[in-house]
Amino acid sequence: MSLKENLYLNFIKDDRYKYLISGLGNTLLITIVAVVMGILVGFLLAYIRTTHDKTGRWKVANLFAQVYITVIRGTPMVLQLLIVYFVIFASVNVPKIIVAFIAFGLNSGAYVAEIIRAGIMSIDVGQFEAGASLGFSYTQTMLYFILPQAIKNVLPALGNEMIVLLKETSVAGYIAMNDLTRGADIIRSQTYSAFIPLLMAAAIYLFFVMIFDSLVKKLERNLKNSDH
Amino acid sequence: MTTETRAPLIEVKNLCKGFYNSGNHMEVLTDINVNFYEGDVAFIVGPSGAGKSTFLRCLNRLEDATSGEIYFEGVNILDGKVDIDRHRQKMGMVFQQFNLFPHLTVMSNLTIGPMKLQGLTKEAAEDRAMSLLRRVKLEDRASSYPNQLSGGQKQRIAIARSLCMEPDVMLFDEPTSALDPEMVGEVLEVMRELAEDKMTMIVVTHEMAFAREVANRILFMADRQILEENDPVNFFENPQNERLRAFLDKMI
Repeated sequence: MSLKENLYLNFIKDDRYKYLISGLGNTLLITIVAVVMGILVGFLLAYIRTTHDKTGRWKVANLFAQVYITVIRGTPMVLQLLIVYFVIFASVNVPKIIVAFIAFGLNSGAYVAEIIRAGIMSIDVGQFEAGASLGFSYTQTMLYFILPQAIKNVLPALGNEMIVLLKETSVAGYIAMNDLTRGADIIRSQTYSAFIPLLMAAAIYLFFVMIFDSLVKKLERNLKNSDH
Repeated sequence: MTTETRAPLIEVKNLCKGFYNSGNHMEVLTDINVNFYEGDVAFIVGPSGAGKSTFLRCLNRLEDATSGEIYFEGVNILDGKVDIDRHRQKMGMVFQQFNLFPHLTVMSNLTIGPMKLQGLTKEAAEDRAMSLLRRVKLEDRASSYPNQLSGGQKQRIAIARSLCMEPDVMLFDEPTSALDPEMVGEVLEVMRELAEDKMTMIVVTHEMAFAREVANRILFMADRQILEENDPVNFFENPQNERLRAFLDKMI
């Protein structure tokens, strides 16, 4: 079979390219929602953890955050996805995409929490003291002085987490979500030709990872320019 | 001691500070009693490890005291129920390491406090900040970032930032110790002008000549206590305490 015939068979015949398009749509949607959720959850957990470490307050919340982070980081993503789908939402009829949002968002939150916590802890204690000495509360000091600097410092790590997340959504097929990887695999199972659809899916992931990467780099540069 | 009939601005009573280090109780401040009055330019000097900085940092509760009372404008700020943030607005502090906010311009470093905490409009805050920048002779650096400034300039901005909250007292924690020698003068000049303008100042420093010139009171701290206090002339010419005499001998 020539390359042309191969491409025709895998993408054009029976509109098979649509598996990739809709799969890509789901992959990007899951990634974007999970990134937003992960950042919200991550901020909350990091805020709890650092407030506890710096002030000694919030012992119970800190314990919860620590257990959460340990469990999420200590178990495979695929298992977490299966547990959310088959155990937590076993008796409720929830769209699979919502399950994916929740599973990937909660997973990302644990990693983002540790990244942001590291960023906050890297800020000199003098910055906290300067804020306090002017009369800012702990929360205001965090908001106006610590977080802006912390986030700038950890931006490369956050960008990396986004890239990891984009690729990790490829396990969504385990709950029969039609994501990009599953789309390619469906084509493979119909055409019995693996090379073209799988490589195409890989190329699409790579393309979006490179776009993400350049966006993050651009943001880093902008922040640097506005600063020193 | 002069006979003071006015109420003190800051009244420190039986202040103790200690902490546990691997099971051992370490005393840092032992039963400190002292008053500071409006218009005071009080310098605290003494050997390293005497507790000078710790004492100063207890005054605005950056360090938690173990026991005792500190009345600031009549309120015991060591009381757990006190809203310390509100009182800190009235106590400016200048740090050894400047602690400017590196992500904000010089102007924003000055205006963020008045705008967020005192409800000033941007224009009003910038007017106030600009007159302070003129006072420290850095009006041309308003749009610079802290990392573009020299150490001496940073410290002058840090002083202006504290003044921008219009505090009732300024605390200086070794403000020139992190500076290159050629930059010490410009910071001391700003502090001297501040003293001449009758700002109440409490200064921890090793600049003995400057203390002698500017202070109206000098306190000698050693061994976790205030061992002697006097006016500058008697402090240097007629020291009573044995430790102070030894300290001054080593200085000269």
